[in-house]
Amino acid sequence: MKKTTVSWTVLLGVCFVMAMSFPAWGAKTIKIGVIGPMNFVQGKGHWNGAVMAMEKINARGGIQVGNKKMKIKLVKADSNEFLNVMDATNAMELILTRDKVDFIVGGFRSEAVLAMQDIAMDYKKIFIGCGAAHPKLCLRVAGDYKRYKYFFRGTPFNSRYLVKTCFIQMATVGAILKKVLNIPKVKVAIVAEKAMWVDPMIKAAQGFIPKMGMEVVGTWRPSAVATDVTAELSAVQRTGAHMIFTTFSSSVGIPFARQAGELEVPAVQVGINVEAQKDGFWKATQGMGNYVMTLNTYCRDVEANVLTKPFVETYIKRFGEVPTYTADTYAAIVYNLAPAIEQAGTLDADKLIPIMETREYLSPGGTVGYLKDAEGRHLHDLKWGPGYLTSLGVQWQDGKLKGVWPNRWKASKDAPAITYKGIVPYKIPPWVIKKYKK
Amino acid sequence: MGILGFYLRKLFNIVKREMLVLPSRIVVGLFFLVLLLLPVVTQDPYVLRILVLTSIFAILAASWDLLSGFTGQMNFGHALFFGVGAYTAALLNLHAHIPPWGSIPLGGLGAVLAGLIIGIPCLRLRGTYLALTTLAFPIILMGIVFAFSNITGGELGVSGLSRLSGSRLSDYYITVVVMLGLCTIMWKITDSNTGIIFHAIREDEVAVRAAGINTTRYKLLAFCLSGFFAGISGGLYAHFMRIAGPSTLEVSMSFTVVIWAIFGGIVTIYGPVGAVFILFPLLEFFRFWPEYRMLMFAVIVLLTLLYMPDGLFPWLRDKVETECPRCKIRNVATRKTCRVCTAPLD
Amino acid sequence: MILDIIISGLISGSIYALLAIGFSLIFGVARIINIAHTAFYMVASYCIYFGTHKLGLHPIWGMMAAVILVTLFGLICYKLFIDPIREHEAAVLIGTIAMAIAMQEIMLLIFTGDYLSVPSLIGGYLKIFDVKVFYQQVLTFGMALLILAALWALLMKTRLGLAIRSTAEDREVANLMGMNESRVAMITMGISVGLAALTGAVIVPLTTLSPFMWMHPLIMMMAVVVLGGLGSIKGSFVGAYILGFAEAMVVFLAPMGAYLKGSVALSIMILVLLIRPEGLFGVAFEEER
Repeated sequence: MKKTTVSWTVLLGVCFVMAMSFPAWGAKTIKIGVIGPMNFVQGKGHWNGAVMAMEKINARGGIQVGNKKMKIKLVKADSNEFLNVMDATNAMELILTRDKVDFIVGGFRSEAVLAMQDIAMDYKKIFIGCGAAHPKLCLRVAGDYKRYKYFFRGTPFNSRYLVKTCFIQMATVGAILKKVLNIPKVKVAIVAEKAMWVDPMIKAAQGFIPKMGMEVVGTWRPSAVATDVTAELSAVQRTGAHMIFTTFSSSVGIPFARQAGELEVPAVQVGINVEAQKDGFWKATQGMGNYVMTLNTYCRDVEANVLTKPFVETYIKRFGEVPTYTADTYAAIVYNLAPAIEQAGTLDADKLIPIMETREYLSPGGTVGYLKDAEGRHLHDLKWGPGYLTSLGVQWQDGKLKGVWPNRWKASKDAPAITYKGIVPYKIPPWVIKKYKK
Repeated sequence: MGILGFYLRKLFNIVKREMLVLPSRIVVGLFFLVLLLLPVVTQDPYVLRILVLTSIFAILAASWDLLSGFTGQMNFGHALFFGVGAYTAALLNLHAHIPPWGSIPLGGLGAVLAGLIIGIPCLRLRGTYLALTTLAFPIILMGIVFAFSNITGGELGVSGLSRLSGSRLSDYYITVVVMLGLCTIMWKITDSNTGIIFHAIREDEVAVRAAGINTTRYKLLAFCLSGFFAGISGGLYAHFMRIAGPSTLEVSMSFTVVIWAIFGGIVTIYGPVGAVFILFPLLEFFRFWPEYRMLMFAVIVLLTLLYMPDGLFPWLRDKVETECPRCKIRNVATRKTCRVCTAPLD
Repeated sequence: MILDIIISGLISGSIYALLAIGFSLIFGVARIINIAHTAFYMVASYCIYFGTHKLGLHPIWGMMAAVILVTLFGLICYKLFIDPIREHEAAVLIGTIAMAIAMQEIMLLIFTGDYLSVPSLIGGYLKIFDVKVFYQQVLTFGMALLILAALWALLMKTRLGLAIRSTAEDREVANLMGMNESRVAMITMGISVGLAALTGAVIVPLTTLSPFMWMHPLIMMMAVVVLGGLGSIKGSFVGAYILGFAEAMVVFLAPMGAYLKGSVALSIMILVLLIRPEGLFGVAFEEER
C-alpha cells in the first residue's frame, strides 16, 4: 500500500515537472500574457477584457495564421506593481521565458511599466501597454526605434491629450455655469495628486485656464494616497472657487469626492478622477460623490460607434460591471493583434510591426491610429481627436454614471458638432445652484 | 612551479583542516561552489534573474546585520541607503555617463554620505528611539524625490540606465561574485578587532566607553560601512533593473530587510544572506498560487520564529555543532571530545 | 486661515493621539513595538464594514461588535505568536510585522483591494466660525478627550492601573513584588488593541478602507510616540497635536506642497529629537545595561 502511494507520488511529481518544463505543449495556440495588478480593479480589467477577447476569438475558431487556425491561450501574470515593482519585472520575465508567450498586454503603474517595457524589448516581444499614460513610454519608441519598436500604446492616449480633453470639458462646464448661474468670471481651483504625470498638466492648466476666460485661484497637491483632504477642501472654499479641476489617478479621488460632497463645497468637480470611473465609486463615497465629473473611456448607454454597445453590454453581462479603461486589453487583442496577425499570416513580431503601426481600425472606444512625431518617426502613440479616440466626459447623476460629453462639441469653428449616442445634459449640483443663484 | 605547488598544498591543507571539519563551513563552501557553477546546469534567464536579485538583496540584508545586528543600532530605515545608492548610481550614469563599474561604487559612497548625515544626529538616540526615527528618513527622502521631480523623475523614477553588462550570464557572475566578495568582507570585518568592538557596543556600551574606546566614532563607522554596502546593492539593483524609482525607498522595503535579517538570525552575517536565499526564491516559488503568496510568506515567518526565535541559521548551527566548554572552539555535534584541546564535550 | 489651521490641526491630531496612546501603552508596559497596531485598526474598520453592509447592523452595533471582536482577536494573536517569544526582542519585532502583513493579505483575499467605505455615525457638518467641520470629526475629537480621561482614571485611580504603571516602571521589581507581570502585559495588550479598534471605529467613516490603510498612520503614529517620549501617555497626546498642527500648516501655507505634509511632520520630529533625544516627555533612561 505504502509503496503504491510512493510510486504514485513520484509519477505525479514527474508529470508535474514535465508539465512545467514543456510549456510549448500546444504549439497550435497563440499565447498572450496578461500582466497587471490582479488584486486590484485595474488588473481585473486587464484580465476580464482579455478573457472576453479570448472567448470571442476562440468561439469563431481562432486566428487565421497563414493556412492554419490558431486558438488563443491567455497566461495570467500578477505584477503586484502597486506594492512591489520588482515583482512586476519578475512576473514579466517569468511569462516570457517559462510560458513563452507570444504577445503581452497590460501594465499600469508607470514606474513598473518602464521596467517591464525593457524586459519585453529584450525578448523582442510585442507589448501593448493598457494603462500607463506617460508620454515617455512612447518617446522611447521614437528615440530608439530599433529596440523599442515592440511597444505599442493600447490605452489611454497620452497625458498631453488627456489634458486637452479636460480643458474642452472644463470650457463646456464653465459655459454652463456662466449661463445658468450668471457668474461673470468662473474661478477655478486646481487640485492634483502629487505625481509626475500630472506636473505638465498643471503647468498647462495654469497657462490655459485664463485664456478660456476663467481665473485660477490656487493649486493644491495632496499626496496620491491621502485619506483626509478636509484641510485642502477648507482652503479651496476660502478662495471662493466655482470649479475644481481634479487630476487623481489614485485612491485620493475617493476621499476628495466624498468629503467635498458631504461638506457641500460650492464648486463643481471636473477633470480626471480615475476612482470615479469605477462602478464601486458610488458605494465607496456613500453616495457623496454625486455630480462628480470625470474623463472616461466607457459608459453604459453611450455609443462612440457601432462596436461600443456590443462590447459594453457583453462585458456587463459577463462580469457584472461597466468596463474600466484597462479592459481595453479586449480591443488590443481583438481589433489590433488578431487582424494584424491574419494580415501578416505570421506571429513574427518584426513582420507584424509595420502592419500594426500603419493600420487604422475601429475599436469600441473609437477609431485607433498610431502617431508619428514631428520628425516623422514612429511613436506608437494613439491619435486623438474627432474621428479618432476622444474619450468621454461622464458625470455621476443620482447613483448612475451618465455620459455628458461630447455634447454638440465642435473641435474647431467649422467642424461638424459631435454628439455621441446616449449623451445626457450636464447637471449642476443643487448646493452650488443654491449658493450662487441670485 | 614550486611556488604554485606550495600554495596549492597550503590551500589543500586549509580546506582539509579548517573547512571540512565543521558542517557549517562545508555548507558555506558548497554554497559558494553551487552559486559559481550553477550556470553549467541551467542558464534559464528567469532562474538567473531571481538569483541576481537574491544576491543583491543578500548584500542589503547582510549590511543591515553589520549595523543593527552587531552594534545594536536598530535601523528601521535601511531603504534609505538602498535608495540613495540606487538614485546616485542612476543619476551619475544617466547624466555624467559614468559606466556601471564606476557609478555603483559612487552610489555606495553616496550612501556613506547619507549614513553620515543621519548617523551624526542619530547617535544621540538609542534603542527604540533610534529605530523609529530612522524609519522616518526614507519617507522624508521620498518627499524630496517628489519635490524635485524634474531631476528624480518623481514616481517614474530614473530610467534608461545602461546595463550592468552585456548578457544575463555575465550579470549573474558579476552580482554573485560581488555578493560573495562583499559578504566575505563584511564577515571579516565583524571578525576583526573593529567587529569585536561593534559587538561589545551592542552588549554594553558603557563598559566599552569605560575601556577608553570612542564608541561614537565606532558607531558612526558602522553607519558608514553598512551604508556603503547597502548603497552598492542599491546601485547594482538600479543597473540591473535599469530603473531607480521611489519604490526603492518604500517602508515595506525597510521592513523586508529587517524580516530577512532577523529570520536568518542576527549577529552572524551568514544568517541574513542565507535567509534571503531562502525567502526570496520562496516568494517567487509561491507564484503558482498567487493570491496566497504574501500570506504564506508571513505565516512561514511567524511559525519559524515561534520555534527558532533566534533565527533559522543559529538554530540549525546549534543542532549540528557544539562549542567546546574549555576553548570555545566549535565542533561537530557527533564528536565526543574537542578537536583542538581534547576536552570532553557534552 | 488661522481658524482653519487650528481646527484641522485639532482633528488630525486627535486621530493620531488615539492611535499613539494605545501603541505607547503596550510599549511602556511590555516593551513591545507593535507594528501590527494599526493593522488591528484596519481589521476593525473592515469588521465595521462587514457588520453594516453585509449583516445590515446599525453602525453603532457594528462598531461595538468590531471593538469586542478585534480585542479578542488581538489577545489571541498575542497569546499565540508574541507571548512565547517575548524574551527575544528582535523576533517579537518581525513577528508583529509578519502579523500585520498576514492580516493585510487576509483582508485582501476577503474584501479584495477595492476601496470601500462605511457611513458616518452622524452625517452632515456644522459650521464653526465659518469653517465647515463634519460631525464625525467633532466626535473623533470628543472621543480622543474622553478616552484620554478614561485612561487616566484607569491608570491613576485603580489597582489595575497601579499594576500597569509599576510594571512599566520596572518589570523585574514589579514581578518580585508579586505582580503577575505576564497577566498585566496581557491586559495591557487587550486595552491597547481595543484602543486601536476604537480608533478604527471613529475614524473609518472619515476615510476609505483598503487593506493597505495601516501603513501611513503607522508611520505618523510612531513619529508621534517618539516625539512625545516613549511610554509617556501625556507625551503621545501632546506630540499628536504638534504633528497634526504641523500638517495643517503645510496644507494651508504651502498649498503646492500639500503632499509634503508627512515629510515636514517627520522632520519636525527629528528636529525635536536632536534637542531632546528622549522626546518631549520621555524619561531620560539611565543607560540600560
